[in-house]
Amino acid sequence: MNIKETIKLSTPIERVEKALKLAHQGQPFLNAVVTFVDTEKQLDNLQNINPDAPFYGIPIVLKDNVNMKSVKTTGGSHILANYISQYNATITDRLQAAGAIVIAKSSMDELGMGGTNLTAATGPVYNPYDLSRMSGGSSGGSAVLVASGVVPFAIGTDTGDSVRKPASFNGIIGVKPSYGRISRYGIIPYASSLDHVGYFTRNVSDAALALEVLAGRDDQDMTSSFIEVEKYSVDLTGDLSGRKIGYIANVVRAIENQDVLAMFNRLIENMRIAGAEVVSIEMNEDLLNAILPTYYIIANSEATANHSNLDGLRFGVQQAGNDIEEIMSASRTAGFGKLIRKRFVIGSFSLFVENQEKLFRKAQKVRRLIVEDLHRALNGVDGLIAPASGYGAPKLQDTSLDQLSSRYLVAENFMVISNFSGTPSLTQPLGYVDGLPVGINLICHPFEEKKMFEIAAGLEKLTGLADCIREVGE
Amino acid sequence: MENYNSAYFKQLAKQLRFDLSDQEAQDIVAEFDTLLNQLSLLETIDTEGVTEMVLPFEDETTFMREDTVKNVFTVEEAMANAPKSKNDYFVTVKVVI
Repeated sequence: MNIKETIKLSTPIERVEKALKLAHQGQPFLNAVVTFVDTEKQLDNLQNINPDAPFYGIPIVLKDNVNMKSVKTTGGSHILANYISQYNATITDRLQAAGAIVIAKSSMDELGMGGTNLTAATGPVYNPYDLSRMSGGSSGGSAVLVASGVVPFAIGTDTGDSVRKPASFNGIIGVKPSYGRISRYGIIPYASSLDHVGYFTRNVSDAALALEVLAGRDDQDMTSSFIEVEKYSVDLTGDLSGRKIGYIANVVRAIENQDVLAMFNRLIENMRIAGAEVVSIEMNEDLLNAILPTYYIIANSEATANHSNLDGLRFGVQQAGNDIEEIMSASRTAGFGKLIRKRFVIGSFSLFVENQEKLFRKAQKVRRLIVEDLHRALNGVDGLIAPASGYGAPKLQDTSLDQLSSRYLVAENFMVISNFSGTPSLTQPLGYVDGLPVGINLICHPFEEKKMFEIAAGLEKLTGLADCIREVGE
Repeated sequence: MENYNSAYFKQLAKQLRFDLSDQEAQDIVAEFDTLLNQLSLLETIDTEGVTEMVLPFEDETTFMREDTVKNVFTVEEAMANAPKSKNDYFVTVKVVI
């Protein structure tokens, strides 16, 4: 059932109470919530909202890097464990103006830096399909709260694939629109040239509706776009006839799991039967292999600079010291997890004067070549598809992947190209392998979200995988 | 390649205003080989004459605007998360003795 139908069939209080019940029921198993938010005032405020508002009385979740006034915003980090937001992010205002009720802030990898949700200050988030497996990250808490039926919509952020990978692991839809489509004002940054606001839903119809609520120019975010926001959810037919869609052959070749490949090939056959022209697209293999190191350098370098203000002096958790240097050092040592400090070291290493040309600037140049190759691949097609992952959610401590193998470098990291290029991209369910969800990723031309949702609606019809829920608890 | 040992990374961390334990520094040394191998993939790509890409879209999105006052923070709000404050100032240890 989509959000429009849900609004017709229940009251806001019924919806919020049900969501809270499910959230509390699942929390001991999933650990997806960082902070439960008081809903009483928000429900009272609905009297000022038009009942026809798109999210009227719909319970939602914000990732814990999104500011909501008077509510804790930790960014998944110990150093911000006591931080109370003093203002709303632009998207918080937009969602509340649309009638949404925020029931919780969700767990995330520390400061968004990770793909597992194992680095969250509040501990791992568990996959509802198998509690011994990871949710994926960094927006793991939001993904799991949508997948387990708690809320129909949750905000995430996506710097590498932090919405689209957990969407794959949890059998739901994860959207990362074009760079600048959704304001980032009031959201704790990770890497500013790659950060996007994204979100999770359980069907394409809701995904299209949500972008109408979230998108639009915001003077508070200098990267926010002036391009007109379309009515993405109107006339969403899912008609694939006449569409030309490419599949990224390099990614498909890098996938070893035969079940994933079989599902993907079956989908392509069905797309052709539905009237789409599906063609194989080759991308430059050397450039695809360079995506991860390029990302690592750019993202960690930008993060090192962005998070230099987390020092415990003006806000955040302060440790004792005899002088400012000692206070900063003690606060940052205790406040950041091991992985984050490692990433800062790598970022700083790349920014050293002696390394800047061969690492940081080199990565920025390679980024341009990768983006140019993506635009060449997109030329003449409406969109590109590939499996979002070569497998279902890994076990919590699984480190078996060889980080230099093409399976890892290409199949598990290619979605970063949409962060490099700002192209809209979404992941939606493809099927199940050994009971675990696996997604399909779709990439379209910049600001062609309307077309992206049209294609996604067509794929959803073919897979039959909409509104998938795995409840956890009693 | 230069000698990237534990001491090197501990010193680098100090410049970033945090400490690494012996084990954490050793872990970074161990992982640095993989990282350097990944970074070497970049060296194989010819970027002669290529300009750095800083943002996904390179068209300007900010323009001159009226300097209108909005989204004002009160002093109380600005100080609300300060570990210590007094008379609208952040309080910390003495810098000048």
